Amino acid sequence: MAEFTSDDRGALREALRRLLQDHGSEADVRRTMITDSGHDPALWRRLTDMGITGLLVGEAHGGGGGGPIEIEMVMEEAGAALLCSPLLSTGILAVGLLQGLGNAEAAARLLPAIADGSRIATVAITGTTGTWTEAGVGVTATRSGEDWTLDGTASYVTHGQLADVLLVVADTPDGTAIFEVEPSTAGVAVAALPTFDHTLRLARINFSGVPARVLASNRPAWEAVQEAMDLALVALAGEQAGGARAVLDMTVAYAKSRVQFGRAIGSFQAIKHMATDLLLETESATSAARHAARCLAENTPDAAAAISLAAFACADAFVTTTATSIQMHGGIAFTWDHPAHLYLRRARADAQLFGNSNYHRERYVQHLERQS
Amino acid sequence: MSINPTDAELVAEVREWLAVNWDQGRKHDPEWLGKVVEARWAVPRWPTEWFGRGLGDAQARLVEREFKAVGAHGTGQDRSNLWANTALAYATPEFKAKIVPALLRDEVKMCLLYSEPGAGSDLAGIRTRADSHGDHFVVNGQKVWTSSAADADYGMLIARTDWDVPKHKGIGFFFLPMKQPGIDVRPLRQITDEAHFNEVFITDATVPAANLLGTPTQGWEVLQTALAYERSLMGDRARGPRSGAGGSTGDMIGLAREAGTLGDPLIRQDIARVTALRTLNGLNNARAKADLAQGSSSAIMSLGKLAMSRILHEEARLRTSILGAASLLEGPQFPRAEDANFLTLNAYFTSIGGGTDQIQRNIIGERVLGLPKEPEVDRDMPFRQVRSG
Repeated sequence: MAEFTSDDRGALREALRRLLQDHGSEADVRRTMITDSGHDPALWRRLTDMGITGLLVGEAHGGGGGGPIEIEMVMEEAGAALLCSPLLSTGILAVGLLQGLGNAEAAARLLPAIADGSRIATVAITGTTGTWTEAGVGVTATRSGEDWTLDGTASYVTHGQLADVLLVVADTPDGTAIFEVEPSTAGVAVAALPTFDHTLRLARINFSGVPARVLASNRPAWEAVQEAMDLALVALAGEQAGGARAVLDMTVAYAKSRVQFGRAIGSFQAIKHMATDLLLETESATSAARHAARCLAENTPDAAAAISLAAFACADAFVTTTATSIQMHGGIAFTWDHPAHLYLRRARADAQLFGNSNYHRERYVQHLERQS
Repeated sequence: MSINPTDAELVAEVREWLAVNWDQGRKHDPEWLGKVVEARWAVPRWPTEWFGRGLGDAQARLVEREFKAVGAHGTGQDRSNLWANTALAYATPEFKAKIVPALLRDEVKMCLLYSEPGAGSDLAGIRTRADSHGDHFVVNGQKVWTSSAADADYGMLIARTDWDVPKHKGIGFFFLPMKQPGIDVRPLRQITDEAHFNEVFITDATVPAANLLGTPTQGWEVLQTALAYERSLMGDRARGPRSGAGGSTGDMIGLAREAGTLGDPLIRQDIARVTALRTLNGLNNARAKADLAQGSSSAIMSLGKLAMSRILHEEARLRTSILGAASLLEGPQFPRAEDANFLTLNAYFTSIGGGTDQIQRNIIGERVLGLPKEPEVDRDMPFRQVRSG
């Protein structure tokens, strides 16, 4: 991994924040979210130029050589701005999986194009159960000599309809394996799923006798999937913390300017106390997300526990903050044109991806049991 | 004592002094503390005319580190000694010369006479009166939530000195001698059936005018200084289980395993939720410390007490839930139930004491988030006209 000084990180954060102010405003988000692709290719090119799409890709493959700490920071900014992009799918999940498999050939073939933004990849993990567990995988691979074919259904595939390369998690007689599929291959049917969060794209993908290239791994493939999801969870935790911060700031600013009964509503204790509770939620989410990123970067023994903690603490904090924010704003936030619901939609989506809070609480308790 | 020592010179000096004067196992009694004061290690940040060395914070911390390394107490009182710091800042020179060295040697016992039955959250609404009689004041009133009142030599007292000005502007701050006939200390039985605090009834007690800190109406300002020192010491004062039988404060897994409820999925979810609160608070504090070390102050510091009161209430609720019907019981043969029930009640010590959660939210909302204050109807009114009850 490349060495990032705190100055490097600060400069990257500042540059991204400015980029999103200029090209990822609320108006840009609203314009982008109603398009089919749900992403803005011009903004994507700017993100590539800034090194964001390839941030996690190793320098040998043309990337920035960043790690969990850098991507968590990037996602705080992305969450604050409600960035519409396939970054999570291609630059984080797919990159994490490709780098975790230990398959040098596949890494050399795919990572440079992901880093330079010319190809968008995603990982098809769960079936229609939406559990993101090994048992929930919905695609089966069958072998005939050296050739593999895939059958079954993957669902909730993030940015599946944008991807030009699919990494498909499938059951084989010898356990889980990863397959590379071009979506244009005969037998692949990609159906866009309508999403409650309009800034997110999800697809259901049917495979019917689809020839696929197996990506050999030097370790159990599910471990590599789990690792990629852990990286994605840290990124999501950053997005949730950053999103919560933006919503808190927006809400506090409104409470200072909105006047009822001859005074700013923020002077009423009913509002003030809600705002204070949201501050605690936001600060705790920020601490949890950054701690998880640091543990993952340093590969500490309690990294898995820290990630599960961040997964449910940040998910719940973002949902609570966005939901409470609507109540604190009152009628104005019940309108489509107010951004509060965009954040609530994002928060509710983020809270489901790669395992919901109940799942991560159970995972966290299992870590506590082992320590106890 | 060297003037403007380098770090190395200072460390050498304190090490040498400790090597000569400190023995392992030595008591931290007034005799030891007297030596520390005399050698100017007790309050190294203070000016040289008041037992100090005029050191900056970084160098004073070097001194503290050396004391800590050998297990000796007595330095760092320029941060930790609430009483001495308050006296140094505001007492008359004659009283200061008498009281400050005694406080640094821990020869006088102190207590706080702030809250009253009618002035809790609204502390500036105190009605204990101090009436001037030339060289002394006569004090009448009632104070509450005073710990160590029975042993105290002095109480730091706020009392009303002027009833015709707004409430914050007519308060005096005194070192009230406690060992006199007009002071009646009665233990206050708490909901936990303990008595850590007292009520103090004050009837025609006298205090020399020389014991006044600041002017007769500067008390509110003096109080803010005293409170700032007190807050910086508050830290995590929350107490764990009383019986000591229930494992560490946070070990809900062990408790549930013993109670046979660890397999209950609802309990497991609850354990994760509640354990996370304590862990998150630790992460918040670590982040605040790191921010502080980099020179940027953090909003998180002010959230600690509010977070802790939620943690304590939630942990007590979870313990009760884990135990189920066993929490109906009391007594030494039921230590788990004792813990759960005690912690349930004692959580209010943190959510009410030192400023209720609701007052904390006001303070955080106003000072950290910059939300406007609630209008105060009595703020500019002569105190005599302020409604009470």
